[in-house]
Amino acid sequence: MPDAFGAPLYGPVYAGIGVPATFNAVAITVIDDTRPVTNPAGSGEVRSVGPGAFARIPELAANGIARDAYIDATLIFNGRTWTVRSYELRGNPNGEDAGEVRFLLKAADVG
Amino acid sequence: MADTREDILARLHAILATIPNIRSAQRNNGDITEDQLPAAVLFDGDEDTDDASDFSMRPPHRPTMVSMTPEIVLAQQSNEAGSDLTTLRRELLKRVLTDTALNETIVKTGRNGNGAIRYLGCQTDFGDGRSLTGSLLARFMFKYTLKPDDL
Repeated sequence: MPDAFGAPLYGPVYAGIGVPATFNAVAITVIDDTRPVTNPAGSGEVRSVGPGAFARIPELAANGIARDAYIDATLIFNGRTWTVRSYELRGNPNGEDAGEVRFLLKAADVG
Repeated sequence: MADTREDILARLHAILATIPNIRSAQRNNGDITEDQLPAAVLFDGDEDTDDASDFSMRPPHRPTMVSMTPEIVLAQQSNEAGSDLTTLRRELLKRVLTDTALNETIVKTGRNGNGAIRYLGCQTDFGDGRSLTGSLLARFMFKYTLKPDDL
């Protein structure tokens, strides 16, 4: 199957809405995917922010970043510094290694 | 006119504001944002009597015993939300169970009357935000004398 997602799809999307980032001091491009989250608090709720970012796995691999380096990595983009606490793989028809990863982030100053 | 239930809740709300490091002490507001944390929220809760089985000739306006069960939520967001909540819980229990106004003047526990304050237990919730978000719901039981003639 030809690469229908790498250059034809991800390329223009990341060129358009991607932002420069550093992943353990390595320059990559990510898409900021910070979302609101609501956590239960007994009888109430706490509204917070769930920071996340998409990155292309082929770009990470090309920079020597393997999957076992994801957790606890330092990711800096859009003026904030985060720690990767977990991640989700978003494979595509060319396989998970050709897809994206969504980093789930934590630990930056509130506000 | 005296409403012991409201007096208990108002005093509880005031006690919450004295817990060290609490940024926001609220009553019945279940919609907290992260910049209000650490927060302490008092929910009025329910109350019950044992009068459902009382078929005596006692006039309905005579005093009766009421058990009310307010809930207090402590919420915090940090990398150490669990240990922070443990500290807040300790300060909460200490203040509620030893508060002189609550024990001696409002609820009238011990030699002051036949009221009682009991700590029933707590439940915790944890979730992920930009850092770990945790909450602790502490439940208390207040037994007091309801005097309809005084309302």
